[in-house]
Amino acid sequence: MSTAIQGGLHRDTKGSKLVRYSLIGISLLFVFLMLILPLITVITEAFKQGFAVYSKAVADDYTIKAILLTLEASFFAVAINTVFGLCAAWSLTKFKFKGKKILATLIDLPVTVSPIIAGLIFLLTFGRQSPIFPLLQDADIKIVFAVPGIVLATIFVTFPFISRELIPVLESQGTDEEEAAALMGAKGFTIFRRITFPHIKWAFLYGVVLCAARAMGEFGAVSVISGHLRGKTNTLPLHVEILFNEFQYVPAFAVASILVMLAILILVARSVIEHKGRKK
Amino acid sequence: MYVELKHINKHFGNFKASDDVTVGIEKGKLIGLLGPSGSGKTTILRMIAGLENPDSGEIIIDGKVINDVPASKRGIGFVFQSYALFRYMTVFDNVAFGLKIAKKPANEIKERVHELLELVGLSGLEKRYPSELSGGQRQRVAFARALAPNPQLLLLDEPFAAIDAKVRQELRSWLKGMIQKLGVTSIFVTHDQDEAIEVADEIIITNRGRIEQVGTPYEVYSNPKTAFTASFFGQPSIFKDYSNFRRFDVLENAENAIVRPEFVKVTKKTEVQKYKNSAEEGVVEEVDFRGYGIELRVRVNGVLLTARRSFDQPRIKVGEKVDVFIYRMFVTQGDTATLLENKSLREPVVVI
Amino acid sequence: MKRKSVVIPGFGLTTGVTLAILSVVVLIPLASLVVFSAQMSASEIIDVITRPRVLSSFKVSFLTAFVASLINAVMGVILAWVLVRYTFPLKRIVDGTIELPFALPTAVAGIALTALTADTGLVGGFFANFGIKIAFTRIGITVALVFIGIPFVVRAVQPVLEKLDPAYEEAAGVLGASRMRIFWKVILPELIPAIFTGFGLAFGRCLGEYGSVVFIAGNMPFETEIAPLIIMSELQEYDYSSATTIALVMLVASFITLFLVNVVQNRNAKILKGGS
Repeated sequence: MSTAIQGGLHRDTKGSKLVRYSLIGISLLFVFLMLILPLITVITEAFKQGFAVYSKAVADDYTIKAILLTLEASFFAVAINTVFGLCAAWSLTKFKFKGKKILATLIDLPVTVSPIIAGLIFLLTFGRQSPIFPLLQDADIKIVFAVPGIVLATIFVTFPFISRELIPVLESQGTDEEEAAALMGAKGFTIFRRITFPHIKWAFLYGVVLCAARAMGEFGAVSVISGHLRGKTNTLPLHVEILFNEFQYVPAFAVASILVMLAILILVARSVIEHKGRKK
Repeated sequence: MYVELKHINKHFGNFKASDDVTVGIEKGKLIGLLGPSGSGKTTILRMIAGLENPDSGEIIIDGKVINDVPASKRGIGFVFQSYALFRYMTVFDNVAFGLKIAKKPANEIKERVHELLELVGLSGLEKRYPSELSGGQRQRVAFARALAPNPQLLLLDEPFAAIDAKVRQELRSWLKGMIQKLGVTSIFVTHDQDEAIEVADEIIITNRGRIEQVGTPYEVYSNPKTAFTASFFGQPSIFKDYSNFRRFDVLENAENAIVRPEFVKVTKKTEVQKYKNSAEEGVVEEVDFRGYGIELRVRVNGVLLTARRSFDQPRIKVGEKVDVFIYRMFVTQGDTATLLENKSLREPVVVI
Repeated sequence: MKRKSVVIPGFGLTTGVTLAILSVVVLIPLASLVVFSAQMSASEIIDVITRPRVLSSFKVSFLTAFVASLINAVMGVILAWVLVRYTFPLKRIVDGTIELPFALPTAVAGIALTALTADTGLVGGFFANFGIKIAFTRIGITVALVFIGIPFVVRAVQPVLEKLDPAYEEAAGVLGASRMRIFWKVILPELIPAIFTGFGLAFGRCLGEYGSVVFIAGNMPFETEIAPLIIMSELQEYDYSSATTIALVMLVASFITLFLVNVVQNRNAKILKGGS
């Protein structure tokens, strides 16, 4: 389409060539300076003092603990958002009911809330000044400054990530196939597994990847709710912050490089999934 | 009556899709539910299937009220307008789906699927996916899938809507023949009058959520009882005042006069016309070639009428003055339609 | 007419689960913010908001978010244009990299940009020659926010540009309009709603951004202290009332932004659906 425009009607004049090359040039420069260079910086800073220092920083006890906690929080966040995303998408696209629009808006709400505020609301709900705090204390449940709080905040900031990917796909697919299956007596789970899921497979996977990426990288909300207990409630991004603020730059960038590699992995996975999804 | 609807009402928001619908269908018949879009025909079909629940009224199949019977237990096969084939399953799996749900033994399923695919002429395409089939083939798969569990009643929603005009004709006669062979009671929805007339044993005409008329294609076409039915078929010319057409009885409170092309005979001044004396003079405004002959638009007494002539007859030119004889017309009074005959037809004729 | 089915199972279960999780994760926590702030008097709230340090943090937040989103609006259109209309080497990689700010943890972006733009860094060192400081100034905050916001504009404009009927431009070309004229009079008006949507989304995100800014800002009161940072420091002093008050202001601001974006987006959706 685009080449037809360039080649056909508009002759490639000197001026248009100049515009094209300068626009491409500006774009490449911008992408390199703003996006690529920071990545390179992380890697070079991480290896500034050689591989030994790097591997020592990465294999540090606190780093390992932070990795494990990050994985744990991300796992729960992705699991709960998967259940939520599938249910919300099914409910919102297969049925008609009052308040549907409001429900859809509420689901999208969390992404517009600042991560700091996301952390704050959990602090207010479960923290010391909350009316339910004595109850939690009696039951010996710790949420704030503990792993459950981190998980809750992470779920909040990634809340619509999966449902948002599924809803447009299900919306355009319609309900005929499910109705046909239901008419033949298929039960809910069979319909979902045999009929619906093949349609949303790639969108679902895409949503999970996005959700996992954000969950592993969440900083602001987790920062508020975690209490920064080293080795206990420190996730990887928080660990990076602590190291950086202690002027331990090389270890900070070494830990950050783990997250950079995760980010690159996620981008590659993203484009593979998108490619596969498009082919279908 | 095998299928009966009694005083069915159904709303979608402010839209009244079914307005006190009462109708019965005999066993073994092929029924066409015919009406313009938004007339409530698809809603009736979906309520019989259990895809929609009526607000009030009873649906009876084989003597039992089935309002509270779940859709899957009604013994119904349903062919969706867009076929709703399972896109991620092969033809075989599509047809086998209902049987697998019913937990039939594998060899029985295999046998039944092959039998059905043979019946619809798709043997050998078992491994294909719906996206690899033509429109007509998809419809056959949808048909086979609906028939697989041996339904007592087959419902088809606009079965030909998604098919090219050329293949449609062929599929119509195929479907009619197939349903007659199987003897399964069937109801199909259509907005196409030709399709209903060609395929159905009996036509139910719907309009604005109500049943207008029920009858054989011949009955509803030639003997419309309501104003809507009279104006729905054919290519009618509709006009208000017919008092200028002298040879017709004048009814009180007449609203519209409806004249179909086959009610009109147009002759050149030089041609022999049996009812020359009672013919009116008209001026030809349009002459169009159609596959079956010539279609004319003639203005008579200020009214534009559509008429047809065959290729064998002498050519007529635009602007030519012609004789126009109207055999009959429908006249509507409120909701009812009355057939009026030209009085000349009853008088002795003198041929000049 | 679109109909939804009465035969498809699972309405109760899925809607129930949806509402339950939504309540625990979103509704109850947000409600507790409202409940908590309802306990404060109006004078208390005004007192907190009108503190000079708070006021100046609002100013810094809105100003930097606005400037960054403006830069993103321009760069976003250029990037989208280049990605849709031209072919060049590395195009697929560039297209994928646009998404990086979504995938890279904000804290990592923050320390990387800080290292890069500090006086000792590659870029910072270059600008230091001209006496321009980036890191630990408002310029630095803006740079971090440009990083965070760029995918929003590109991803909003790209699909509209792809859908834009070339016949439009061809028609304008046949009529003899110059390329610049075609862009300003034919293409840009079509893109405006999408640009605004991207701008709004980026602005909303930038207002609340914390992770990437906290490192590069330097956090000097009255100079480079943003509103989320004030909330954070109030929390560290266990002053929940002040934190909540400032949070409320920020929430209202981002909801207004979201509302405006939704209004524009509805119009935009019509264009996308119509294709012309």
